[in-house]
Order: sequence, then structure tokens, then C-alpha cells
Amino acid sequence: MHLYRQSIIIFGIVLPLVLAAAVIGGGFLVKSNMLESFETKQKTYVTSEKGRLSGLEIETKVKRQRDNLNRWIEQLSQETASAAATNLRKICEHFSSKEIQQTAFERPPSSAGGFGAVAAQRSSQLRIAFRGTFRTVQRVFLELETRMPRLQLQELQISPNTNQSTLLNFQVTYTAWEN
Amino acid sequence: MANFQQPASLNALQLFGQACAILRNTTRASNPAWYQSAIELNLQLHIRPDGPNTSAFYYDARKGQWSRGPEFTEEILHDSIRLDLVLTEILKYARSHGASSLGVVLHVADEFATTELKPELNNPASLPDLRFAAVLDPGSILEDSSILATQGSWRVIPYPAAGSEVIGTTITMSRQYANFLGLLRQCGENANFPIITHALSAPLVAIMGLPQILKPTPEKPFVAILQYPWFTALAFFNEHSDLRLIRTLQHRGVRKPTHFHSALATTNASLEFVDPDLFLLPLGLEVDTTMESNLSHTFANCRIEVLRHPPVQEIPDWCPEPVITAMPVVSEPAVTSHTFSILTDDQWALQDFLPTPKEVVDIYPTRSEMRLLRLLRLARVALVIITLGSLVYFAMGTIELVRRPEWAFNPSQADIIKGRLVKLISERQKAEHWNNLLEDRSKAWINMEALARLFPENGGMLVKNYTHIAKPDTAPGQSKVGFVKEWKITGFARDEALETLNTLNTREGIAAHFAEIARITGNAAFTPNIGNRSITVNVRTQENNGFKPIPLEESNAADESTYPFTFELSITQRFEATDPMSIIVPKNP
Repeated sequence: MHLYRQSIIIFGIVLPLVLAAAVIGGGFLVKSNMLESFETKQKTYVTSEKGRLSGLEIETKVKRQRDNLNRWIEQLSQETASAAATNLRKICEHFSSKEIQQTAFERPPSSAGGFGAVAAQRSSQLRIAFRGTFRTVQRVFLELETRMPRLQLQELQISPNTNQSTLLNFQVTYTAWEN
Repeated sequence: MANFQQPASLNALQLFGQACAILRNTTRASNPAWYQSAIELNLQLHIRPDGPNTSAFYYDARKGQWSRGPEFTEEILHDSIRLDLVLTEILKYARSHGASSLGVVLHVADEFATTELKPELNNPASLPDLRFAAVLDPGSILEDSSILATQGSWRVIPYPAAGSEVIGTTITMSRQYANFLGLLRQCGENANFPIITHALSAPLVAIMGLPQILKPTPEKPFVAILQYPWFTALAFFNEHSDLRLIRTLQHRGVRKPTHFHSALATTNASLEFVDPDLFLLPLGLEVDTTMESNLSHTFANCRIEVLRHPPVQEIPDWCPEPVITAMPVVSEPAVTSHTFSILTDDQWALQDFLPTPKEVVDIYPTRSEMRLLRLLRLARVALVIITLGSLVYFAMGTIELVRRPEWAFNPSQADIIKGRLVKLISERQKAEHWNNLLEDRSKAWINMEALARLFPENGGMLVKNYTHIAKPDTAPGQSKVGFVKEWKITGFARDEALETLNTLNTREGIAAHFAEIARITGNAAFTPNIGNRSITVNVRTQENNGFKPIPLEESNAADESTYPFTFELSITQRFEATDPMSIIVPKNP
């Protein structure tokens, strides 16, 4: 009696269940591995995509500034005193000596002063003195500071000229950023 | 039909394979008749060999209808070749009547013999065990220990009457019809049509059917005399209608047993039966019809009665066993007793003398195993569907993964993008760095514009000295530092300028001036309300010691002595480290 029961249980129940479990388990394992791999790829992809988008965003900003930056870098590569002297000469050519006279141009021995004293970026100082009318000197400063944005005003002194009442004495000290 | 093998000769895998083949090739799983008794089936063929004649009847249990069966002869029953034709006819009949199975009930009426049980087994409680032992190991219970199990078939019949000397006896049947029944079953196997056989002892069935026709005299024992063509069986019942003894007398070629009267009288005497009722049952076409008159001479004080079952449809009155077997229970029996109850209820009289041999039964799975197999076939389909469904699910998920751009993404692209991003960030930092350092936080021309607008022409003020200093805060370790811008202006003022100076000496006044400069020049360093910028102002006025009062129209604006007051204006503007214009400390990256 029930001579077949054991074999039916083994081959009819246990074995199919084991095989089905093995197949499903195998499929699950493959899927899990793929999912794991996908998650890794996804992390890389998301990071990369974020990086790409950030890159595009940064590039847009950088592209806008690139011309300015290049110009700045070019200017910064020039020697400050020489560039300032050249620019001043060119600017002052537009004015008569009655309106403005450069009375001093020097580079103080202490290179780091003003804002340059706290910044790690290299800087130098430039001291220039003029004798001239208020508006003329102002225009010269406007032109010079526009041409040389590296110049940061450190000190400005204005006092009356004792010899010529229409003229004023100007002494300006700049901090000049160096590349 | 596949040739199935004995399970004992197969390993587990072969066993399962054979079980599946049986499930696939037979109707054993779907047709429960394979596992039912012949007398439970709807269509039955009752065959009754009594020696001179063999009667056969079909019985349709659903309709309660009896009809004539195929013609059988002694030769057909014992000749397999001649039997084939009849079997074909039987199968054709069964199928034409829409039957899904056929129960063949063989009422053996041409032999009847008893064999005594071992005296030491004379325990009524052991009757159930004896019943099984008679089937499985008859030699262990029979008094004649020389009997071999292969010689015949034995079934126990109890003597329930109180006071019986023995608990029962065994009815012996030869195996002369075993081959015939085996061929019937084999035919069913071959045709995949259940033919279930059941071999009964006709006299036992006739005894079981006595209550349908017999009404004994109250408080008197009775003897049922079953007249078959080749033997006469005697069943002795006590006054409570309980069986005390079964005897059989062979006719040995004549129509009645020799010394019948003396045997009956002797047995009556031994059972202490006094003038019992004698009921004659003629159960054959050619039985002795003079027995009633003969007995009335010898047993003058006995009530002698000839009993006949009423004929049912095609069934003659001398052939009642098929009807009794098919319909063993009657609603209002003429006599009731414990004997008749157990003969019917416990089926003592319906025992199968020639069952399917164990070696044949073992070949096929049991009904529960077939049900399990059938269930498993459905379960296997479900399991396959689930498995395939899971695989499809996994495959779809995998395809979905593979189709996504993340899967196709080449990690080397990430390195390229990363490198490009690093370069861009570096460029941006460089731009930010120089953007910060080159910020218009302190310009000479703007300070001069601020001075000019602070002291407008003809404003009643004369500026003598102007000093402006821009210096950073000292905050070591910070990435950004704030700075301070200081203005010191000294000069002379007339009365009308004092109000202007007083206005400047307020937070609102100086802030308004700074805001105006920021608006006109576009320089954010003068915007007073960005971040935490603060502006402090202090105006100090004093009398001019060198003042010489003269009419205003005669005075020279550059003449210091025409100004009654001197003033000293101090302005301090502070930019915190959090200010957008604060100075970046680290070097260019």
C-alpha cells in the first residue's frame, strides 16, 4: 500500500519546488546583481549627470567672464609700475600742464600694504602725486582706474596748493594686485 | 496499454515515472470506479454459475432495472479465447448504456464447503482479526494446518447465536473462477474501462436474504434448507433467529444428498432443536421438488414451508442472489436478528472470495496517490506558470534596467565629465577670485565725486584738507576679511552751511549722501544698505579764530577769514567679512 507515495512526494512535490525555487532564486539573484550593478551605474550616472549639468551651468557663467578674465590675466601679467606709468602718460597727454602735473611716482619698498596686507594674493603699492584741478585729476583717476582695475585705492590726500590757488595737491596710494 | 512493472523492482525515479504513465494513460485519476467495489457501481453484471446452468443479468442501479446478460456456459467461463467474444459484447453493452464502469458480481452457486477454525481461536472478540487473517494467511486460522493458501479461498462467517460451541466457521471456495475474473479485469485494463469484479458465495447471499421472505414460528428455531443443483446447504438458526451452524451436503451426481434426513435430524439433536421450522428454498432449475413431501413424513411435527423470492423483472424466483446483493436492505423485513444485521451491515455475506491479487493491486497507485498525482499535475502547471511568470517579471525588470540610459552609461564618460568639471570649477574659482579682488571697492575718482557732492559750490563751506584711507580688518584664519574706509575732511563753514553739516551728522543724512553717490556712479561700495555695512559720522564745528566779519557780497569764497566756523568731518564706513565686497584671503587657486 502507498508504494508510490514516497516517490511522488520526492519527484512530484519536493523536486519541482526545489527546481522552481532554484530557477526563481537564480532569476532573483541575476536581477539582484543587475540591480546592484545598476544602482552603482546609476550613482555614477546621476553624479556624472549632475556634474554635466553643473558643468554646463558653470561653463555658461565662466564663458561670460572668460573674456574679462583673460583680459585681467593679461593685464596682471604686466609689471604694475610700468603699466601705470604708461597709462598715466597716455592719459595725461589729453590734458595741458596747467590742468595737471604729475609731481611724484614711486613704489614704496613695503610691497604688501592696504588690502594686500591681509590677502594671500601677491600685491604691490604705488604712490602717485599730482598737482592739478579737481575735475581734471578726477578724470585722470577715472581713466587710470578704468584701464587698471587691479588698482585699489589705499589712501587719498587732497590739500590746497600754496603757490597756485586754482590747483590742488593730490597724493594717492594704490594697492596693485599682482598675478 | 503500457506494460507496467511491479513497484518493488523499480527505483524511486522509475516509480514516479510509472505513476505518471498510469496517470497519463489510464482513467484511474479521473474515474473513481477503479477504486470502488463492484456492487457500488451503477452498471453491474451478475453471473451465477450453479453447475448445470450459468445465469447472467445486467443491473442498472440508477434505473433499478434488470435485464438479461450475455449467454455464459461452463466452457466460456473456463476458456479465455471463447471469453473474448463475450467480453467484447459486454464492453459494447456497457458503453452503449453510457456507463463509465462495470461491476461484475460472480455468485458462485456450484460449490459450497466449510472448514473449521482452530479451536484455540474460539474468541468472539477476535473475529475482526480472523476475518483479515482468512484473506492474508488462512493457514494460520484453519484447523487443518496442511491446507495451502493457493488451494482455495476462505472467508470467516460468525455464529452469533448465544450458546454456540464455536464462534464461527470458514466458507471455502476453490479458485476455479480466478482466471475468469482476472481476464475480465485485464480486459478492463486494456480498454481503459474499469471492470471491477466481486466473487460471492451464493448460499451466503441467500442466507442474508432470508429476512425478505421468511417468517419463523415465534420462540422456535428454524432451519433454512438451500437447495442448489449440486449441493444442499443447511443453516440452523436458534429461537432468536441467530445463526448457530452452517452445514453443506454434496449431491455427488444426484439431485439430492444421500442421508439428508438423518443428517438433519442428527444436527437438530446435537443443537437441541426440537421440531424446528423447516424452510425449503429451491435455488436452481433442476432441484429436487419432492423434498417437502418427504420431509413431512420424517419430520411430522415440524412446520415445513417452501419459500420463493418473488421474481423481479428478468430475475427468476430460483435465482434471488443478484437481487439480494444489489438491494440487500428491505424496509420491513419479516424477521430481524443480530445475525441478519451483521450479515448485511458488516457485509459478512458479501465478502469477496476472489479479489484482485495483491501483486496486481500493487502495480497501480492507490486512490489517494492518484488524487495526489492529479492534484500535483495541476500544481505543477501552476508552479510552471508561477516560475515562468517570475522569470518574465525578472526579464522585464532586467530589460527595463538595460534600456535605461544609466545602464548604457560608460564610466569613462564620468571621468571625462569629472575632469571637465574640475577644470571648469577651477576656472570659475579663478574668475571668482579675481572678480573679488578687482571689485570696485575703493576708487579715487568716486571718492572725489563724493567729496564734490558733499560740499557743493556756493554751499558756504571751504574744504581745507581731505584724507581718505581704506584698510582691511585683521582677522587671521578667515577666508574673507572685511575692511574700513575712513574719511577726514577739515574746512571752514558759514552760518548757512551749519544746517548742511548737521544733516550730514545724522545716520540718515550720511546714508542718503552715500546712496546718492552709489546711484550716480553705479558703485556698490557706497550703497549703505547691503549686508551689515555701517556708517558712522562725526562733525565737529568750532569758531574760526581768524574770522573777520565783512559783508557777504564783499567776501571771497577762498578767504578763510570770511568763514565764522571751522569744521572737522569724520566718516567711517565698515564692511564686515560677510559683505559681498569683503576681501578674499586665499591665493589664486
